[in-house]
Amino acid sequence: MKKLLMLAVVGVFVSTQGGFALAAGNPDTGPGCGLGKLAWQNYPHQKVIGIQTMEATTNGLMGNQTFGISSGTSGCTNDGKFWAEQKVNAFASLNFENIAQDMAQGQGEHLASLATLMGIPAAQQPAFFAMTQEKYTSLVAAGEASPVALVKALNEAVATNPMLAKVSFKP
Amino acid sequence: MGFRLHQLEPHGLFRFLLFLLFFSCLAFLHPIPSGASPVTDPLYLNELMGRAEAMHLVEEREWHVLLHYRRTLFGGTESMQDDPGFFMAPGGKTDPQAELAATLSMFFSDELVGRSKQPAQCAFVARYYWLNEKLRFDATRLPPQPCERFTRWFDEFNAAAITVIFPSGFMNNPSSMFGHTFLRVDGKEQTPQTRILAYTINYAAQLPPDAGVEYAIKGIFGAYPGYFSTIPYYLKVQEYRDIDNRDIWEYRLSLTAPQVRRLLMHTWELGNAYFDYFFFGENCAYHILSLLEAAEPSIRLLDRFPLYTIPIDTVRLVRESGLVGEVVSRPSRSTLVRRKRTSMSIDERVWFDRLIRNPANLQSEGFRALQPDRQAFVLETASDYLLQHSAVGGEEGAPFRDKNRTILRARSELKVTPRDLPIEPYVKQPDLGHETGRIGVGAGWRNHRAFEEINIRAAYHDLLDPEPGFTPDAQIEIMSIALRHYHHQSQARIEKFSLINILSLAPMDSLSKLPSWKVNVGMQTIRYNSCTLCSNGVANVGLGAAAETALFKREVYFAFAEAEANYSRAYEERHRIGGGGTVGMLADMTDRWKLMLSGSYLRYVLGDQSDDIRWFAGSRYTLSQNWALRLEYNHRDRDNDVLLSVQAFF
Repeated sequence: MKKLLMLAVVGVFVSTQGGFALAAGNPDTGPGCGLGKLAWQNYPHQKVIGIQTMEATTNGLMGNQTFGISSGTSGCTNDGKFWAEQKVNAFASLNFENIAQDMAQGQGEHLASLATLMGIPAAQQPAFFAMTQEKYTSLVAAGEASPVALVKALNEAVATNPMLAKVSFKP
Repeated sequence: MGFRLHQLEPHGLFRFLLFLLFFSCLAFLHPIPSGASPVTDPLYLNELMGRAEAMHLVEEREWHVLLHYRRTLFGGTESMQDDPGFFMAPGGKTDPQAELAATLSMFFSDELVGRSKQPAQCAFVARYYWLNEKLRFDATRLPPQPCERFTRWFDEFNAAAITVIFPSGFMNNPSSMFGHTFLRVDGKEQTPQTRILAYTINYAAQLPPDAGVEYAIKGIFGAYPGYFSTIPYYLKVQEYRDIDNRDIWEYRLSLTAPQVRRLLMHTWELGNAYFDYFFFGENCAYHILSLLEAAEPSIRLLDRFPLYTIPIDTVRLVRESGLVGEVVSRPSRSTLVRRKRTSMSIDERVWFDRLIRNPANLQSEGFRALQPDRQAFVLETASDYLLQHSAVGGEEGAPFRDKNRTILRARSELKVTPRDLPIEPYVKQPDLGHETGRIGVGAGWRNHRAFEEINIRAAYHDLLDPEPGFTPDAQIEIMSIALRHYHHQSQARIEKFSLINILSLAPMDSLSKLPSWKVNVGMQTIRYNSCTLCSNGVANVGLGAAAETALFKREVYFAFAEAEANYSRAYEERHRIGGGGTVGMLADMTDRWKLMLSGSYLRYVLGDQSDDIRWFAGSRYTLSQNWALRLEYNHRDRDNDVLLSVQAFF
C-alpha cells in the first residue's frame, strides 16, 4: 500500500520534476516558485483500490498552502492567485502532457488557453496552433527539458513566424 | 473601555467633550465591546449603533447568513464558524448583537485582524458592504479603507458568472463516493476553449500530509479544519477527469452581477477562517451552498440539510431554486477513450489495439493505407488511452508516456483537423436521477407465513435502483432498515439493518483491468436450527472481477471471493467465521426493467461449523424518476422469502 502510494506521484510532472526540485533561483528550470514540489505529491491513484484514506490531493496539499484565499504571498501566488509573471510558466508546467497532445493535433483547450495566456489574439491562434503542430518535435523536446524552455521556444517560434511575428504578446 | 485621548482625531477635543456628554447617557444602551480597539469617532459609532438597533439589523437574514448563524436545539443562536478570528466580539459566535456592535466598532480601526491580517473593513468586506448599504456610512467620519488586496483578488477573477461543478462519484476512494461540488468563477474574457483558466472556489478539509486510516474516522467527526481555496480549474480537471477518470458536470448559474459580487466578497471573508469539516454534514457541498446564500440571502438552501449533505442533492436543490442555466458535461479521459473506440470501424479498432501495445505498428503499410483523417482519429484515441495510463505516475507510467510521444509525433505529421465527435458521459445528468433517500412498502411470504414490510434507507443507491444519474454498477447503501409484521402469531421485528453496504463492479475489458470489491456490515434475519426468525449480525468483504456484454441490452457478470463473520444466538458459541464466493449477473432488459441474479456458497470453519447456499433473484421496474416496483426472492437453506414492494425516493 505504502509503496503504491509512493509510486503514485503523478506522471504529468515526472518529466519536469527534476526541474521543479531545482526551481528556486534558476529561471530556466521551472516556474521558479517551487509549485511542482507541492503539486500532486502522494496523490493516491485509483489503482490503490479499496479503502483509501481521504483525499490528499489538490484539496489538501496544495489548496491551502498555494491557493488559500487571503493567505498572503507564497512562492507562486499572492492571496491564492498566481503572480502575473508566473501564470504562463505555471500553466505550461502543470499541463505539459495535455499541451503536447494539443500541439500534435493542432488544436485543443489546453493549447488555446496557453495561447491566450501568452497574449496571442484569437484571430492569430489558428496560425499559432499550426505552427506548434509543425514544430511539435522540437517544442516537446524543449518542454521535456523544462516548462520554461517550452515557453521560451514558443516565444521564439512566434517571433520568427511571418504570420505571428507582428503579434505583440506578453511573456 | 479602552479609549485613550491621544488616539482621537487631531481636532478631537471638541468631539471628545461632546462624546463625554453623549456617552454618559448612551453608554449603557450601546455598550462598546470590551477588547475592541480604540475608535476614532465614538460619537459616530454610537449613532450608527443606534440606527442599526432602530432598524433591527441584527435580526435581518443577511446578518445571519454572513455570520453563518444557526438556531441551536435549545433556542439559542450559534455560528457554524469555528475560527475565533472570524468574530470581532469575544462572544460573537453565539451573540449576533455583540458581534454587530463589535464589527461596527472595528470598522473605525485599521488594526489588522483575522488570519489574513487586514483591517476589519477589508477582512470582512461583505459585512462592510452590507452594513454600508443599510447605514450609509459617512465617508468623512468613517473613512473607507482602500482594501488593495481584496481589490486585486476580486479583479483577477474578472467574474462574469458562477458555475457549480460536480465531478461524479468515484468508488475507489471512500471520501469521493458521493461526488464533490465546488464553484468555478467564469471570467468575462474566457471562452469554452479557455474555461480551464478560470479559478475555482473549493472547500476541503485540510489533512496532515501523512493521512492514514484514522483520518477517515476523524474526518467524519469534524476533527479537521476545512478551508476555502481558489485552485485553478485546469488542476481540478486534471484531478477528476484525467486521474480519477470521473465525468464532470458543469451547472452554470444565472446569478446577477451584484449577486456574483456578494458571493465573491463573502468568499474573501471566509479565507479568513475555517469551519470544522464534517464528512457527512458540514462538508464541501454544504458550505458551497452557504456561499450561494451569501449571493442571494432570500433563498434558503442550508435549512434543507439539517443532518447530512449529499453533493448531488445540493445540485438538485440549486436547480430547483431556478438558479441553473446551461448544463454541460466534461467526460472523463476513460469515457473519451471508450466512446471514441466504440465509434471506430473494425479495422480502426484493430489498429488502435495494436498501436497502444506497440507504437512501432505505425510503420506498417496497413495502417498507412488508412485515410489520413482516420489515421489521425486512431492516433488521437491511442494518445488519450496512453495519457490515461501514464497518469499512474512514476516508473509505472513511464512506458505509457514514451509510447505517447511516438504516437503524438506521428499525429503531428498529419495535417488534418481532429474529428468532431460529441462525447456523452456514461453517467446521465446527475440531478435528473432519483432522490437519494428511499422508502418502500411491501408484502410477501416467508416460508408460507405472510408479512407486510416497510423499509427506509438514508442513502444512496443500490444495484437495482433506477440508474440514470448514478455511477453505473456501483452500490452505496448507508443506514437502511426494514421492519416487518408477520401474520399468524402476530409478530413485529426488525427484519434487516444495513450500516453500510457498498459494492463496486468494474467490468474488465481490453482497456481496463480494475478489480471489483464489496463491503457489507449489518444485520439480517435467518432461519437456523430450531430458530425460525433469528437476528444475525453480518460483516462481509469480498474482492472479485466483473465483465459486461451487450447480448440483449447490457449485462454485467461478476464473481467474488469473500470472507464473512456472523454473530447470532442461533449458532453454537454464538458466532461463525468463514469464506466462500458469489457469482451473479445484472441485466438491463429495457430502459425501465432490470434483473439481478446471484448465488453464493460460504463455508464457516470457525465457531459454528456449517455451510450456506444462498440464491437471490430481483427485478425492478421504474415507474418514474422517483418511483419503482421491486420483486425480490431470497433463498437460504430451507428458508424462502418473497417480497413485492413499491419504492419512493425522497
